[in-house]
Amino acid sequence: MDEYDVVVVGGGPGGAMAAKTAADKGLKTVFLERGRKPGDKNSSGCGLGQRWWKDYPELMEKIMELPSARKVEMVVINLLDEHDRLRYKSGTTGSDLCANRWRGGMEGVSVYRKDLDPFLAGLAESAGAELRTSTLVSDVMMDDGAVTGVKTGDGESIKAGVVIAADGGMSTMARKAGMRNRWGGGCTLVPQLDFSCDEKKMDDVIGNAEWVWFGPLYGTYQVNFRDGFHIGAGQWLRPDWDEKPLDMMKKLVQMPPFQAMCRSIDAKPREYQAHLLPWLKKPPKTYTSGMMLVGDAAGFPCPLEAEGIWHAVTSGKVAAETAAWALSSGDVSERKLSDYERRWKASDLGKEHEFGEEFVNLWNASIFDPEGMKRQVQLLLEFSMLHPFSIVFDWGDAHMDCFNQHLDHMLDLLPEFGDFGKTYLVPLARGIWPKNVKHVLLMAKPRIPVLKHLSDETYFKVMARFSRKLAPFLDPAAKQEAPLPRGSL
Amino acid sequence: MAEIKIDLKSLVKRVDTDKMGDFIAYDESKCDGCGRCALVCSFNLWSVKDGKAKLASNYQQHCLECAGCWEICDREAIDFWYPKGGTGVIIEYG
Repeated sequence: MDEYDVVVVGGGPGGAMAAKTAADKGLKTVFLERGRKPGDKNSSGCGLGQRWWKDYPELMEKIMELPSARKVEMVVINLLDEHDRLRYKSGTTGSDLCANRWRGGMEGVSVYRKDLDPFLAGLAESAGAELRTSTLVSDVMMDDGAVTGVKTGDGESIKAGVVIAADGGMSTMARKAGMRNRWGGGCTLVPQLDFSCDEKKMDDVIGNAEWVWFGPLYGTYQVNFRDGFHIGAGQWLRPDWDEKPLDMMKKLVQMPPFQAMCRSIDAKPREYQAHLLPWLKKPPKTYTSGMMLVGDAAGFPCPLEAEGIWHAVTSGKVAAETAAWALSSGDVSERKLSDYERRWKASDLGKEHEFGEEFVNLWNASIFDPEGMKRQVQLLLEFSMLHPFSIVFDWGDAHMDCFNQHLDHMLDLLPEFGDFGKTYLVPLARGIWPKNVKHVLLMAKPRIPVLKHLSDETYFKVMARFSRKLAPFLDPAAKQEAPLPRGSL
Repeated sequence: MAEIKIDLKSLVKRVDTDKMGDFIAYDESKCDGCGRCALVCSFNLWSVKDGKAKLASNYQQHCLECAGCWEICDREAIDFWYPKGGTGVIIEYG
């Protein structure tokens, strides 16, 4: 029987990074991929955001050079109404004030997994990890409740000091080790359609941007690569869900504004896939005796937008570091490996899931609710007309009358969203940094006659006594650049 | 305006489908005919007849290996595991 320090199940980004990290630490490592090569069975992605520049700058330099890479400098939001008319288009990107962030503001990259997965797997192999392809892992080896290795579909047993399961949303490893069965509601199903395009026309029309399409009938991402793009239309598999995800995608493809975009860049359908995508409020337990879960297998995708490649790579790295630490002490018990959870919770991965519950609830109540979304589109459109750039171009009446008509409509619509705001937005308020709350209060201070002569410190004390909601932000012990703890408002 | 034609079958590449083996198990006695497997399947391989779900007999030739039918079935009438290594769906882009 073959024996390794670390056996990694899965050759995707999480598995490759785990294998690379383990091999870099001198551990005898194998990673097992069920496809003929890494990337064969990928479950998509893959917009690599700005944080890649912060965490993996050397990798990013090389990823930007992969054949399918397209730089991302902004996200273009296309908002449609219930009649499939494009009503609003906006872009997200920071100003030059963001230039002090890594690589300045919004810069990221989109790259097909067909390129990314073999690239990352190659790094693991260069570090000394062994890659076995066309190798399905079908079971775990267990001894007295502890995972001690894996069994392949061909009946081979491979013994492991530690198993790192990077085997995707369905995770055979998690199931076989008795950690969980189905996700049961916290999971989406995403049909995804890829299109080939004319590269030069994409440069001209799409530029260096991701696109998204939002409307009452759908919310979908459009990830743009060098000479193609893919769209996906996900839906939570929750009990009240009643629309076929495939039908949602078909509707989207027939929208006139989408078709116009397709014509302008010679887009033609090229590939179709569907995959499970865990989209959870928080990951369940991520370790057991002898095994840790990473990436989608652990339920790590972002609770706000469900991108999961950074999360897979980062958890893979943390898991392999934990494995090396545990193996060096000769203890891979559940108690020892619980340190994996402590480590990822203390990292940016943990920060990402701090607001998981609030983010998922917000999405569930907005984008995935057609009636609610129809009203939200109306509210957003009226709100957008109050913007100085918009009102300049409303020539329906005298400009100030136009402004007041839109304000009137918005104020009429607003009460409908009172409960929505109270239920879904107010809980997010604890995420506002105390530093920023203080900043706002200090702007108001010179305009409040009875308070303007107080010292800042006394002023904050008075305000804290005045408002129970403000008090936690003004507590001198509060961290200035961090959210307040759950339950503090 | 010409519609964009999506012929799903022509958009999925597969290898060695004859070697995949079974990878979906269905226990009809547990099925309550709710039809959610048919709703979730993005290749229309499940249907409901006479109050029971039916899986297309040649599912290996068409299944996208997403495991959605397993995930959605509250009655746990559907089990799913991955097909033999190196067989089935090939994602050429992602």
